[in-house]
Amino acid sequence: MDRNQLIKWLQAPAKMGHKYSLHAVYFCTGCGIIEVPPSITARWDAERFGVLPVATPRQANLFLITGYVSVKTLRAIIRTYEQMPEPKYTVGFGSCPINGGMYWDSYNTIKHLDKYIPIDGWIAGCMPRPEAIFVAVTHLWTLIDKDMADGYKRYFQNYHAYRRNQEQILGKLEWPPLFSIEAKQ
Amino acid sequence: MNHSIKTKLLSVFDDIQFSTREQNRLEISVEKQVVPAVLSFLKNQGYNHLGLISCVDWIEERTFELLYILSAYMKDDEVHMEDDKINILVKTRISREKPVCISAIPIFEIAEPYEREIHELFGIHFEGHPRLTPLFLEREYSIPPFRKDFDTKEYVKTVFDSVPFVTEKALEK
Repeated sequence: MDRNQLIKWLQAPAKMGHKYSLHAVYFCTGCGIIEVPPSITARWDAERFGVLPVATPRQANLFLITGYVSVKTLRAIIRTYEQMPEPKYTVGFGSCPINGGMYWDSYNTIKHLDKYIPIDGWIAGCMPRPEAIFVAVTHLWTLIDKDMADGYKRYFQNYHAYRRNQEQILGKLEWPPLFSIEAKQ
Repeated sequence: MNHSIKTKLLSVFDDIQFSTREQNRLEISVEKQVVPAVLSFLKNQGYNHLGLISCVDWIEERTFELLYILSAYMKDDEVHMEDDKINILVKTRISREKPVCISAIPIFEIAEPYEREIHELFGIHFEGHPRLTPLFLEREYSIPPFRKDFDTKEYVKTVFDSVPFVTEKALEK
């Protein structure tokens, strides 16, 4: 263990625990998922950074959205995101979740994923290399240290706006609201 | 190349055109009524694998072009020439105003998902298909989205760009 970080461990052990055990949902969205198997296996070995794919969203706290998001996938993304326990961090991977990328005029691909769920960080590129995942992870560590990775808090705070946007695209959602849908003062 | 299959086809069907754009690929243009007959004839000749049914929207000519790609699985003990290992493309044109075609499911069962997809994305009705229900798409479209006159930019502007960005309030401390 890094001795310089000892004071941080004593001050906020839970936060350090979250930081160094980012468990990612193994959720495949689009083409970017092709970079994830090399990064979690021996060649790049994401477990050096504490990043580990897990089987269910109930065990995960990192959500990598790897690639373009079609309308049908958006429904699955929202359901998966809402099942994850807090604290949870989302990272958009590739240029398509950012602004549509090469699907900017597609009939079935949503642009701007952050209209529907809160995003803590983006990895730009089409496609980003596995190294970019680790740059993002170390950057996410800094954000967690400074309490700036607050996407799940923003989701709670602005849930009425996110839910309204989700219903605008997907129609009536078949699951009940996660939080109260009244606008908070 | 492959004169035997050409002569066999010509002896059975009248209105049939051949063209060879690439080596090992024979293109056959037929009327839409005889497509099942041609497919079943070619299946009996050993071209027993339907690889794909595709569709092209020729909007200037006001037609859809359906394309059936056939290839042959030859057993080792079957007598065949080297020329027999070709892909056969069966092409047919159907009118854009009344896009109806006969289903190929009785001949090739694998045609079912392809025809369902073409029905969803191009709006072509296949007679004899058991369930032409939606396959991929969830939203309603005014016209099927793969047709050339579907304006994707307008659609994106009215649907996806009309969703507002979430203006977030400052977090409670």
